[in-house]
Amino acid sequence: MADSQDGIGGLVFDKSKRTWPNEINVFVALILIIVIFEALGAMIMGQSFLFDSKDRFDSVFNEARLKIIILQVSIIGIIALGVTQVIITGGIDLSSGSVVGVTAMIAMSFAQVSEVNGIPNPKAVFGPGLMDLPILVPILVGLGCGLFAGLVNGFMVAYTKIPPFIATLGMMVSARGAAKWWTSGRPVSFPTEEYASIGAGMMPVIIFVTLAILFYFVMKYTVYGKHTYAIGSNEDAARMSGINVTRHKVLVYSIAGMLAGISAIVLTSKNLTAQSGMGIIYELDAIAMAVIGGVSLSGGRGSIVGTVIGALIFGVIISGFTFLRLDAYYQEMVKGGIIVGAVVLDQWRQRRAAARV
Amino acid sequence: MKKILLTASIAALMTSTAMAATIGVSVARFDDNGLTVMRNGMTEHAKTIDGLDLQVEDATDDVAKQLDQINNFVASGVDAIIINAVDTNATEAMSRAAADAGVPLVYVNRQPINMDSLPENQAFVASNEIESGTLAAFRMCQDLRAQGKSGGARAYMLMGQLSNQAAVQRSKDFEDVIGMDMCNFITLIDKQTAEWSRDKAQDLMTNWISSGEEFDAVFGNNDEMAIGAIQAMKAAGISMDDVVVGGVDATQDALVAMKAGEMDVTVFQDLAGQGAGSIDTALKLANGEEVDQTVFIPFKLVTPENIDDFL
Repeated sequence: MADSQDGIGGLVFDKSKRTWPNEINVFVALILIIVIFEALGAMIMGQSFLFDSKDRFDSVFNEARLKIIILQVSIIGIIALGVTQVIITGGIDLSSGSVVGVTAMIAMSFAQVSEVNGIPNPKAVFGPGLMDLPILVPILVGLGCGLFAGLVNGFMVAYTKIPPFIATLGMMVSARGAAKWWTSGRPVSFPTEEYASIGAGMMPVIIFVTLAILFYFVMKYTVYGKHTYAIGSNEDAARMSGINVTRHKVLVYSIAGMLAGISAIVLTSKNLTAQSGMGIIYELDAIAMAVIGGVSLSGGRGSIVGTVIGALIFGVIISGFTFLRLDAYYQEMVKGGIIVGAVVLDQWRQRRAAARV
Repeated sequence: MKKILLTASIAALMTSTAMAATIGVSVARFDDNGLTVMRNGMTEHAKTIDGLDLQVEDATDDVAKQLDQINNFVASGVDAIIINAVDTNATEAMSRAAADAGVPLVYVNRQPINMDSLPENQAFVASNEIESGTLAAFRMCQDLRAQGKSGGARAYMLMGQLSNQAAVQRSKDFEDVIGMDMCNFITLIDKQTAEWSRDKAQDLMTNWISSGEEFDAVFGNNDEMAIGAIQAMKAAGISMDDVVVGGVDATQDALVAMKAGEMDVTVFQDLAGQGAGSIDTALKLANGEEVDQTVFIPFKLVTPENIDDFL
């Protein structure tokens, strides 16, 4: 009887050469950063970062802090889920932030409430006929906006073959212009109660986590997911093995656009306003989250889990700086260093793992 | 006969072109609420002036772009230029460019660093940011006393973009006021920037609340951030009766929040007035008239007592 370790043709499974999944690297980086903040917190503030040193909560953790860590990155995290897929196919999407901006303005215009504290809505965009609409209307409008932008991006990348950088850069500029044009730069506020409940409390986190779980299964177990990785690893080989690369690319960018649209809906609902300047720099933060999470900018590698951990690292950094009362001037400088550091760490571990094989 | 008709028509043409004037305007950003109010005030006012052609450009927060826009305006032969500076420290170069070309220049809303040494045909129309923060801080101090907290009160401050003179000045105003004898019962726990953004302010305030510090007042350099802080406090179950919240701008959203009893203090900046004033000043300079080189339009304190004047 063959030993369970014997494989076909004499190959043997060598347990000592087992490689860790790449996500472990990012997770280690996250734990490391938390430990650093805990140490600094103990030295400078005399308080704990994550644990409940003042005994204000029932559990051993500072629940309020844990909540805000993930809450403040959920909205950009939703965008990051889409950008992850785009980058895995070997492309890039610079338009996410601007798509958030224009979707925010347009969707919010359909979510207006007619009376605010007894006086007619001072910020109404359309006439009385289009106020107090059922919640489905602004949601569909928002999704439609994001989808439209994504479709345009996808068609440009897939059919005209111009570099995704340029195609999405064009969308980034045009969409921002459209956001400013919609109401001549005037913000739109005062949504209906129903709309406000989309982004209230911990809802952004719930939406982010639900979408993350959904796309985790999609990327890992569906044909769509496998094709995405295949196109990123070797586009020509993918095409020759019968994958409809053009159609798939349009699909990927459309999904990224829709996720940006969802992000805009949650953002405007959370803030009860839409401003034409919303979403600026979001695309870069989303890309940074994905890259920290192990997504390779050359395509073919990365995962949803990694991106979520990347988002958590961002959240920890933001809260950590406020916790330490670090001067605003230093925060951005240090944040840049941490982003680069996390990626260097990930690359180094991957090279070590590859060398061992 | 022909000669008479010819000279008559030329004279008619000359008078109409003599009335017409073109003014080039460069606004720091088109997507800022306050500046949008100012810009709309300008375009509205320009409509009421016969023969005035207003060309408004977006500098998209880019200093270099703004200087290019000035040069473009000069090249297209405008009669005057109005600048809403992206960076108030970079105005020397802009003043020089306009002065060299002999085109009158008016700075609006943001105080240029060369305010006291402006060339002959340049002027500045704005509100003095020393007033804004001071009015708000002073009133917050009085409110805290009225609440019986003169034994000791603690405050948080949300700052705007630190590259804006307005953010720096308003923050300094607040700290100066709480340094005075009358108000030094107030201590500042922490001050951080939320970049004028409601969303960032909401997250920042939630972070502060999670640290468990007791506080009595929150001052935002602008209304958007104050509103973000209010949203965070409400989500955490903190009653707005216990906290004095102050902002600056008196936007529609802020006035609604004040009516609802959530916001206590804000300051009205007559941005539309600044815009209109800058156009009038620019036209005067273009016609060679004497003007006041610095025109300060006063801020007005807005509280639940006088809010109806502003609605």
